[in-house]
Amino acid sequence: MSGNNVNRRDFLKILGWGGVGVAVAGCDRPTTVTLEEGKEEVVAYLQPEEYVIPGVGVWFASTCQQCPAGCAVHGRVREGRVLKMEGNPDSPINYGKLCQMGQAGLQGHYNPDRLKKPLLRKGGTLTEVSWEEAMTQLDQKVGPASGLNGERFAWFTGTVSGHQSVLLSAHLAAVGSKNHFVHEVINDAVARAVNQDMLGEAAPRYLLDQARVVLSFGADFVGTGASPVYFANTYAKFRTATPRGVLIQVEPKMTLTGGSADLWVAIRPGTEGVLALGIAKHLVSQGVDASGLPESLRTLIAGHDADKVSKITGVPPDRIARIAALLKDRSPSLVLAGASAEGHAHGYQSVAAIMLLNVLLGNVGKTIVPSGASQFPQMEAKAGNTRDLLAFADAADKKALDVVFFHGANPVYTAPAALGLAEKIKSIPFKVAFSCFPDETAMSADLVLPILSAHEDWGTHMGVYQPEQKSISIQQPLMEPLYPDTKGFGDLVLTMLKARKAAGFEGFEDYYAYLKSAFAALPDSVKGDAVSDEDFWGKTLQKGIVKVTTVGGSLSAKAVEINLPEFKEDSARPYHLVPSARLGMWDGRHANLPWLQEAPDQISKVVWTSWVEVHPQTAAKLGVKEGDFIKVASEHGAVEAQVYIYKGVHPDVIAVPMGQGHEEYGRYAKGRGVNPLKVLAPVADAKTGELALYATRVTAAHVGRRELLVKLMGNETQLGRKMVATVKADVFNRTEGGKDVA
Amino acid sequence: MSLNNILTNWSRYRKGAEEGGFHEYEHQWGMVVDLNKCIGCNACSVACYAENNLPVVGETRYAKSQFMSWMRIERYWDEPDIEPYQATPSANVDVWIETNPPAAKTDVKPSMPGSYAKGLLEPGGQGFEERVGVYATKGEAQDFGASFLPMMCQQCHAATCEPVCPVAATYHTPDGLNAQVYNRCIGSRYCSNNCPYRLRYFNFWSYYEDAWPEPLHMQLNPDLAVRDKGVMEKCTFCVQRIRVAKDEAKMENRKVRDGEFATACVQTCPTGALVFGDMQDPESKVSKLWRFHQVEQGKTKQNKQNKELRGYRILEGLNTDPSVMYLERVREV
Repeated sequence: MSGNNVNRRDFLKILGWGGVGVAVAGCDRPTTVTLEEGKEEVVAYLQPEEYVIPGVGVWFASTCQQCPAGCAVHGRVREGRVLKMEGNPDSPINYGKLCQMGQAGLQGHYNPDRLKKPLLRKGGTLTEVSWEEAMTQLDQKVGPASGLNGERFAWFTGTVSGHQSVLLSAHLAAVGSKNHFVHEVINDAVARAVNQDMLGEAAPRYLLDQARVVLSFGADFVGTGASPVYFANTYAKFRTATPRGVLIQVEPKMTLTGGSADLWVAIRPGTEGVLALGIAKHLVSQGVDASGLPESLRTLIAGHDADKVSKITGVPPDRIARIAALLKDRSPSLVLAGASAEGHAHGYQSVAAIMLLNVLLGNVGKTIVPSGASQFPQMEAKAGNTRDLLAFADAADKKALDVVFFHGANPVYTAPAALGLAEKIKSIPFKVAFSCFPDETAMSADLVLPILSAHEDWGTHMGVYQPEQKSISIQQPLMEPLYPDTKGFGDLVLTMLKARKAAGFEGFEDYYAYLKSAFAALPDSVKGDAVSDEDFWGKTLQKGIVKVTTVGGSLSAKAVEINLPEFKEDSARPYHLVPSARLGMWDGRHANLPWLQEAPDQISKVVWTSWVEVHPQTAAKLGVKEGDFIKVASEHGAVEAQVYIYKGVHPDVIAVPMGQGHEEYGRYAKGRGVNPLKVLAPVADAKTGELALYATRVTAAHVGRRELLVKLMGNETQLGRKMVATVKADVFNRTEGGKDVA
Repeated sequence: MSLNNILTNWSRYRKGAEEGGFHEYEHQWGMVVDLNKCIGCNACSVACYAENNLPVVGETRYAKSQFMSWMRIERYWDEPDIEPYQATPSANVDVWIETNPPAAKTDVKPSMPGSYAKGLLEPGGQGFEERVGVYATKGEAQDFGASFLPMMCQQCHAATCEPVCPVAATYHTPDGLNAQVYNRCIGSRYCSNNCPYRLRYFNFWSYYEDAWPEPLHMQLNPDLAVRDKGVMEKCTFCVQRIRVAKDEAKMENRKVRDGEFATACVQTCPTGALVFGDMQDPESKVSKLWRFHQVEQGKTKQNKQNKELRGYRILEGLNTDPSVMYLERVREV
């Protein structure tokens, strides 16, 4: 051990392995790891001369950073360049597969608009400076001698996990701050809160493949869920089981998951909870046992007869009966709540009503099972939310912050205009962006530090959704940095920790040395058959993932009180705005990747721009045809985009996809389309404080301009040809049920 | 393919399954697309862009259908085979024509220079109204999801694109692939005119001039060419991967093993809806699936013993003999 007084327990915490499991499990391994080991001569991250065989591609393991799912990847490297990403077949999350965002990660790495030099705001404009000058600035404003009050310092990040998370926590502790805002627009924070209260665990596992019927209230699990690739795989199992699983999707606008539904039901936004109670009433009247529920809930359910529910939700009574019948007959079932149910002032209440169906149908323990904690809780993902965005806007408004560090989040783009964030953060004297790209937040910062791309940097990650086999995924450089004046994020945080003289971190030369020491310090149970630390490190880099054990985990099935408000019409603003999320653009972070701009939206097939989805009835009312521009105006602003007309949207709904409308962010994103997040009303869910994304009312009007809506499809129908042929499920069950053909 | 060659070797080229199949081929790469599993997510398409150096063309050129997506996902809203939609083809076309009257002749200004391209983007311009979508399902709401259809070159064994090439730039390989020889291609575009699936893509521009601004060009796959203006291109079933697999097998003096490699789209498909393999290997996954679904090559109409099996080939009746079998979408109704 070094001169610092760091005991083993603290030491493991520094290395990210602190927690219940490890302190005990690790004890049989005497302190073979020393801090000195971190000082050993570390060779170049990649040794090109060893790996380059002209004409031969070599695959290296790493982790995808395109969304918080944390898929393990292999990158093909040839002549020192990374050329292609594929999934890592050993990963329990993505088993060798990748989504389009994962495929397009390369275009982030090779993006022509990457930041190449540090930028410092001088006289109002960002000017290129040397790293020396940048770091001097950083030290003056944030360093130990800066006199910075820790409580007035904050990190603002996206979902973060693994050793980056450990370092961030250590840095916050070293500065004396508790302010870590973790922000994601696409999240399941409300459902997590309900799960915590009803099941006793925020993120249980959903066994889609065990369910014979899935009723999803806007849960886009194969599109913009917590782990799209994982759930796409389990979806395939669900669809090929015997009998084949039935998917019912209830939502205001068709999501990618809804695009695969057997029964798709349009619902008036915000009334999902009412429909859930209506279905519950049907189930109870069909003999489903509700005696375990409290009296108050039984009364509430009894008050939701089909006619009343139908009137409020816009779902015909026979549909409600059909859904209830399917749920009852095809046991076990699984009921899921997604963004369109969560995103209201009463989002928590709606989701609680939806989860009540799982309790009623006995799904808890069958298709919803405990996830448990990982052996290494420090490694687990800190999942982002929108509550922290609101809290941050509030802190900025109150001038409670002197220094903010941004990483992996772009709040200036994602915050609704009504929050006035772009204005408010001007009052924060020193804002630092750790970023690869000139996004909106970076461009409004005072110091911009260009970091290595995901394909150039080191890291460790745990996906936000962990299947039964939990794992830590390794991120390693797939090639030498493209730009000499960029630095690793972990390296920068470690440098700042060392500047703060944080105990335990002084011995590590860089982030690589830190990670290597951390893996050497893992207990033998994790190291498996590795003969030495070096051997284990080599094997880990080769495999890309470390499988870890699960600790504890049990679920309760406790109903919570549900208070759904009266549904109100708004005659001044008759339409509901749905800012829909896309697998592709995500929350706008991928708008700078040309492959994804040119990849048609899965539902509308539109490319390169924004559009407005309206129902044919609404289109007739507004007097618009496809390609017409309409103005969608809320109390807080307006957007204009072209109309796409189809029936997969509720007649009272105007859907505008997220992702475009960037004011910065490079040549492919800037000035293209509109950002619906900007016009949102700053309404929060009463219980959780999450931003209610689907609670904004709008007007819509034709602006008298029309252009061709640029999309893939010439025809929306098959014109009677046998292009996509369809067969009924009973035929499928008869011919292929129980058969493993190939 | 010269006329002489066709006359001499016709039977060799067109030997149906009933005559013992295509045994003169070295391999016969085929695919299966299970529409019961496909979620239309687009991963296959982007993987194809990454693997095959497909240029991004931008919004303006996309509007003129000058995009290059070898693998694309089509999406339809109706299901002609199943309730609640039961339109006959003619009724369906009528609905389409009714809701989309052709643009009035006076709106088209063909005499203006460059007006065709410009007109596409303008209301009333030529081609504008025709490209506006229609919806033709019964009822007020979409009662079921969309119908997704991944479309890549069907690698037809009686390819309509092949015999029309005036310079034999498009030909059939001993692997059963429709190959395109870029160096021979003179850009007549007869092949794309003749492809009933619209799966051939023409380089109207020198896309490399702006598709990969530095350093995006560093991602380009050195295993295959970047194409230039005036050349037709299409899905190759990732022939560069086939090449590597065959070479490795040859070096090791063995046959190519089923599943040892896959095309980029098949490799990445998150639901495993796509299967790729050698149809000459009776034990390969594709062979098993074709056999199970009683779909045979060399036929314009399948004579299935079990009519309920899902396998079908798109526009098979045109006698194209595709190498891609689709499995019908399944719907609970």
